[in-house]
Amino acid sequence: MAEPTPVTPVEPIISFKGVNKAFGSNVIFEGLNLDIYRGETLTIIGGSGTGKSVTLKMLIRLLRADEGSITAFGEEVTTMKPKALLALRRRIAMLFQGAALFDSLTVAQNIKYPLIEHGWKDEDKMTARVREVLDQVGLGKIEDQKPASLSGGMKKRVGLARAIAIKPDVILYDEPTTGLDPINVRRINGLIRHLQESLGVTSIVVTHDMDSCFTVTDRLAFLYNKRIEWVGPPEAAREAPLEILREFVKGGSGILEDDLYI
Amino acid sequence: MNGVVELMGHIGGVARLSLDTFKAVFVPPWNLDLLVDQLDRAGIGSWSIAVLTALFTGAVMAVQFAVGLEPYGASLYTGKLVSLGIVRELGPTLTAVLVGGRVGSGFTAEIGSMTVTEQVDAIQALGADPVKKLVVPRVVACIIMLPLLTILADFVGCFGGMLVAMNEVGITPRFFLEQVIDTLGVVDLVHGLAKSVFFGYFIAILGCYQGLHTHGGTEGVGRATTDTVVAISITVLVSNFLLTNIFLKIYG
Repeated sequence: MAEPTPVTPVEPIISFKGVNKAFGSNVIFEGLNLDIYRGETLTIIGGSGTGKSVTLKMLIRLLRADEGSITAFGEEVTTMKPKALLALRRRIAMLFQGAALFDSLTVAQNIKYPLIEHGWKDEDKMTARVREVLDQVGLGKIEDQKPASLSGGMKKRVGLARAIAIKPDVILYDEPTTGLDPINVRRINGLIRHLQESLGVTSIVVTHDMDSCFTVTDRLAFLYNKRIEWVGPPEAAREAPLEILREFVKGGSGILEDDLYI
Repeated sequence: MNGVVELMGHIGGVARLSLDTFKAVFVPPWNLDLLVDQLDRAGIGSWSIAVLTALFTGAVMAVQFAVGLEPYGASLYTGKLVSLGIVRELGPTLTAVLVGGRVGSGFTAEIGSMTVTEQVDAIQALGADPVKKLVVPRVVACIIMLPLLTILADFVGCFGGMLVAMNEVGITPRFFLEQVIDTLGVVDLVHGLAKSVFFGYFIAILGCYQGLHTHGGTEGVGRATTDTVVAISITVLVSNFLLTNIFLKIYG
């Protein structure tokens, strides 16, 4: 009888271990632990001000953790040198809450920005890449428009096009559907799912929107009490032992915002 | 006590930003387009303020000196006093205060808006350095343009003084210019221009620092912009006193 093939444990590509973070006297995290695996879509939920966006920003070191370890692709982020940090930001892209497009640049210039910073020189190739990513996010010929002339949904999609232009391995989505109409919410959710399925991109989504959460996510992480209190499949959240999570997932009819902000 | 701690924190922050800016200046690639854009906006866009300020400052100085010196029969020396006052002190200082108010507040408003809308975070996330992209071009542009605007203000200020002296005292342009040339030495010009280099640096670094540390949405941008104008005005006036003393000790 053949020996059973040993199962190799899957290593997380991103890992937060014992992370502490405070802004002055305002403690955000005390011992944050979280693992993210290749190819999955993980959604972080939690009340306002519990540090969901801070988690994303610490991962690409837009904010520094006070203590603890954050590793990405096997490298320690908290002590990374500038060159390694640049390489990390080539692999992990972020879609900001308000898209954060540069007002003074056109759509095409916005999308070319990371390409130039990461060493692309050929103008024709960059122009072709701009067209390609705009097609991927379902936008027509808007290359020469300035962000001010775009709708909220279009800005989000241009922001996403800019994020995927450098073909990242991981995309961080900070409230990707906030402030959008239902059609654009569906469109953005579809894009997140499409990028995961077609390009194998790992996604970390921060959101308040539970409908979106159940549409796009493989695993749910609940931020509460200054740490991740629960991680699991979205369906299991409805039956989770943590009452406040069950209420949050249901839509929060029985909880107050103050209860979440612990 | 809290105010002192806060002030020390800001001084430390400005020193840190200055160090980062100094290091970033020498790291390629250098983006000349950004520098040219700032030279245009900060420098060329400010020439009219510098000219108007200097013209009327020179004129009012000439009026005061002409009237004040008349009882002593010394109003003929109006040209000497106006030119010395303009070139050593009022040209660089008033230009810095007024251009600083315009340019520094503009820097804070622009960078502050970018900060509160996460565009500065986006610059970093996309692999660039906000200090290199936003601060370096502004600091270099102000260090180049402030002395040039000061030279312009010196000329126009003396011209304004000359126009008034011709009318009030009845001296000829030639006599006025001879007095100016006799009075002013290279040291006087260097004295004023050297100060304007420092003023240019203070204007840009304070404007950028406030912008990068803006928080609290659009209200925060407004608050930061106002703070910048106050900070630049005070810094220019205080540093003018210190620099003047230092230069007088060096050059006499």
